[in-house]
Amino acid sequence: MPEQVIQEITNVKTEGGSAFNRVIRGIMPLIGLAAIFLVFYILTDGKLVKGNNVELILSQVYTLMIACTGVFLVMTVGGLDFSQGSILGISSIVISYLSFYSIPLAAVAGVAAGALIGVINGFVHVRFKIMSFIVTICTMFLFRGLCAYLTTNAPVAAVPGITALNALLWFKLLCTVAVLLIVYLAFRYTKLGISLKAIGAGETAARFSGIRVDLMKFIVFVLAGAITGFAAFLNVVKVGSITSTSGSQLETQILIALVLGGMPISGGVKVRFYNIIVGTLIFVILNNGLVMVGLDAAQQQLIKGIIFVIVVALTIDRKTLRVIK
Amino acid sequence: MGEIVLQAENVSKSFGITRAVRNVSLSFNRGEVRGLIGENGSGKSTFVSMLCGIHTIDKGRFLLEGKELKVKNQVEANRKGVSIIVQEMGTLSGLTVAENIFFGNEDKFVKYGIKNTTAMNRETSRLLEKYGFSHINASTMIDHYDFETRKLVEIVKATYFNPKIVVVDETTTALSQFGREELYKHIKRIKEEGNTVIFISHDLLEVINVTDTISVLRDGELIDTVKSCDVTEDELKRLMVGRELGSHYYRTDYGEAVSGEPVLKVEGVCVEGHVRDVSFELHKGEILGIGGLSECGMHELGKAVFAASYDRTGKVRLARGTEINSIPDAIRHRVAYASKDRENESLVINATIGDNICLPSIDDLAERGILKKKKMDRFAKKYADMLSVKMTGIGQFVSDLSGGNKQKVVLARWIGKDSDVIILDSPTRGIDVKVKADIYALMSELKSKGKSIIMISEEIQELLGMSDRILIMKDGKINGEFMRAPELGEEDLIVRMV
Amino acid sequence: METKERLRAFKPEKVFGKWYGIVLLVFFAVVFWGFFKILTPNNFGDPDRLYSYFQSSIQYAVGACGFYFIVVMGLFDFSIGANVVLSSIVGVLLSKHFGYAGLLIGSLACGTLIGLMNGFLYTRLKIPSMIVTVGLMLILESVASFVAGGVKQTLDKSLLGFAQAPGNIILAFVAFLLVAFILKFTRIGTYCNAIGSNEFVASNMGIDVNKYKLLGFVLLHFFVGIMAILTVSYGGSMTATTNMQTLGLNFTPLMGCFFGLAFRKYTNPVIAMVVGEFIIKIIFSGFVALGAPTTIQNVVTGAALLIIVALTTRTAKGAVVK
Repeated sequence: MPEQVIQEITNVKTEGGSAFNRVIRGIMPLIGLAAIFLVFYILTDGKLVKGNNVELILSQVYTLMIACTGVFLVMTVGGLDFSQGSILGISSIVISYLSFYSIPLAAVAGVAAGALIGVINGFVHVRFKIMSFIVTICTMFLFRGLCAYLTTNAPVAAVPGITALNALLWFKLLCTVAVLLIVYLAFRYTKLGISLKAIGAGETAARFSGIRVDLMKFIVFVLAGAITGFAAFLNVVKVGSITSTSGSQLETQILIALVLGGMPISGGVKVRFYNIIVGTLIFVILNNGLVMVGLDAAQQQLIKGIIFVIVVALTIDRKTLRVIK
Repeated sequence: MGEIVLQAENVSKSFGITRAVRNVSLSFNRGEVRGLIGENGSGKSTFVSMLCGIHTIDKGRFLLEGKELKVKNQVEANRKGVSIIVQEMGTLSGLTVAENIFFGNEDKFVKYGIKNTTAMNRETSRLLEKYGFSHINASTMIDHYDFETRKLVEIVKATYFNPKIVVVDETTTALSQFGREELYKHIKRIKEEGNTVIFISHDLLEVINVTDTISVLRDGELIDTVKSCDVTEDELKRLMVGRELGSHYYRTDYGEAVSGEPVLKVEGVCVEGHVRDVSFELHKGEILGIGGLSECGMHELGKAVFAASYDRTGKVRLARGTEINSIPDAIRHRVAYASKDRENESLVINATIGDNICLPSIDDLAERGILKKKKMDRFAKKYADMLSVKMTGIGQFVSDLSGGNKQKVVLARWIGKDSDVIILDSPTRGIDVKVKADIYALMSELKSKGKSIIMISEEIQELLGMSDRILIMKDGKINGEFMRAPELGEEDLIVRMV
Repeated sequence: METKERLRAFKPEKVFGKWYGIVLLVFFAVVFWGFFKILTPNNFGDPDRLYSYFQSSIQYAVGACGFYFIVVMGLFDFSIGANVVLSSIVGVLLSKHFGYAGLLIGSLACGTLIGLMNGFLYTRLKIPSMIVTVGLMLILESVASFVAGGVKQTLDKSLLGFAQAPGNIILAFVAFLLVAFILKFTRIGTYCNAIGSNEFVASNMGIDVNKYKLLGFVLLHFFVGIMAILTVSYGGSMTATTNMQTLGLNFTPLMGCFFGLAFRKYTNPVIAMVVGEFIIKIIFSGFVALGAPTTIQNVVTGAALLIIVALTTRTAKGAVVK
């Protein structure tokens, strides 16, 4: 059977659809956020927004939102990064060690450490053409083990003064907003955004359009690592000392948050920057709300799992995935 | 030869806008070996794939021994007595020879869900022996065997159950002399057993030798059925390609000299398995046509010139000697490429028209690294309008467009980039007449602006109509060069192709 | 140049023929064993210890064999670990009333049901297996917590038959034989391979791809049920955890599975997987014997899996890898 004929029938199943569809898809996460907020506001008799609780919610948001920003870039090209938690752990340890010399230096070192792990991820993925999820799972293991090893005898403590920064609400907000803003501007106003979206939408075609696909794929993993390295800084500020399990479920939290925010799993042109913000908020409010309502850990997880599966089922772009594996 | 065993009544099939098979009515007799020939796109493969359950039938029907033949897949077709040996790999890796042969038909070895593998292997060995393939082992994983041996297994797989109709689809091209001899032996045997073979091949001499009768398809229609012993190769060629010259939308100018100034030099380019040591020059303002049979290597050559091949050796140089070694290089130096595979290579299907038009020009559009959406939108709209793309707006997804309009978007992006050398591969494939005319007009316009075009095409008329110069390729090498002239005809080209 | 030519012409496949795969595997096993034995001759690798390495590796080998059915089709499942926890808890609970029968039937039935659910959701919802099983992992972990009622589930001392030889070896071997049998003597075996090889062609030849993918999941989780029995017997008890802590349990079986895939051209995949897990165990134990902390296990797992995959993945030129 000639190639042409095969292509016609297994043709790239396409999205597009009406503009109406696309608007709905755009609004859904926002509706979801409003809904979740409302539900828990009612269930907790308004305690959700009382006093300390808002700060509590926010404190969970910073690290997660920053880390999501990096993974957002990876997922835009259609990849996955399961090593985020380990990156957070290692970077946090590096920051803690160096915090005794100089806090700004420690922050930079944390970013560098994260970037280094990102380099490994990106290089192995691109050079050996191994699926990103396998590569990052392996590095997750590797560095989680390293993390555990470094904290074998005792948690690694940062310089005690560092947690003073935690009380400065504006500082944390500034850091988060700064990261979001920088990445947003780069994504929207430089060729980074359109290139990544093109790679996610059609890697081969992107290559034929002159995009340096291999280079970009490598870069996004480095960026994801570096950005999470920065998130690690805020993490150290918050907790003060690192244990072997620091950050250990971050990668799945990020995945769930982004999915809840409406981000298509396979990336492409339908990604929206607000997926990060809305998703993180939904996730944290959901988490917080479930705790306030009095559910135990297992019940919370059950609900989260069910919501996750439902949301993925609703938001996945079946049309662009030719063969679903 | 006996009575009629298979009839096709007004069978038709379209893929989108392309009418692949148009109202074909044919009948086949028992014990007949029928050749089915035609150019690429003539519909012969689509026709047989409808017969074998690979494709659905749009209109018309097949009658097998008087009863309507309705099959949903190959296994069902097999059960009704119709089978096919395909052109590419028809066996599955990871399975043994025996598992491949009996794939989908294990029922007779299965009892209470358990498959009697030993019996299956034994039966397979017996069959392999009967076919004279005793060097093939039933229980070995098929991955251990080379392509040709796997084809032999396919022959067994397609014929061991004595099907009434066996389709051999372009199988011989990939076989050695030994493989072909084996195949001919079995075709003869099938004929002697009173069954029918439909034999598809590009090798006209082979078809004349092996078959009793030959049916010729062209543009999806049946042209004629002739007796093999009565016909010559030339007569067949004429039937295959002779057609009334349709609308005059090609160029009508002749004799205008093309500048001798070279803009692109291809030196000793090889792509393993496809292109062997090809060298040529492209001149300013020239439309260089490259033609040949579909497997001659011209498509891979096009990719190689654009630096999109993975294993290209040799050099591709611009006028001043700059080498082109990567796609970004090519684009930056104003070389453009529109692939035959529009959906996967020329366009990012799941993106907007605006995105697609802007992508190659992204670096030019950025002011000190900053991209402004307004500027990009204006840019995209300008070129989309220039080419009269029928769209609801540049925010429309390319996937929603018709084939012709998709191609217009492809061209819009390269015109937006102001490319000087444009490589077009099958530019009007699957496109309706009106848009075809638009594209030809565009090509003439580009030529008049001093741009140079390489047009790779399987459509001989197009090559004759539009090119200043034509290169014909065969088996990876250049096999002929023709200058534009009104006397130049199809047969001149075909002679060099086959 | 004669030696070079002779070396090049030496095709091990031709020399060893059918046994090439097994010989290669045994070769690797010996090399790794030898490596650690030389470094720390006293607390590693003597026959007794080897025997115990083997016994602690067979539970993962059983998991690997189960994994094979879906990985060969290109699918993945993150909820294996959660299954092990849930099935073993169910098994222990039932064993309190029905003894061994309860343990066996509880675990196997639970596993099979999980497989049905996973397979059903995957085929109906059409979400990539990787993603949907993350969600399922969360759900199964919580269910396990409910069922366990927050209590560590301990197997009664009298029911520890599968914790040591010969019980565990017999059970494991029954599993291995079953997998090998299914692969060779049933249609599922053939079709799983076919779908993995070329899903489009297989579907075109009339195979109901969705049905076999579902069956693949059922088989996977059935064998994970067996793995659960071995795991809970070996450890004596099982605690339900949440927060995706079961994620780690997925990967040792997966590594063994990759061995099976890489070697299936040369030998029976079951053998490759059993030997593969054994080799992995040797490597782990070797590091521990060298005095490396147990935390090093994860580092080794990560690095080893990466190396194995890098060596055994062959992607076509120009293929898109996400």
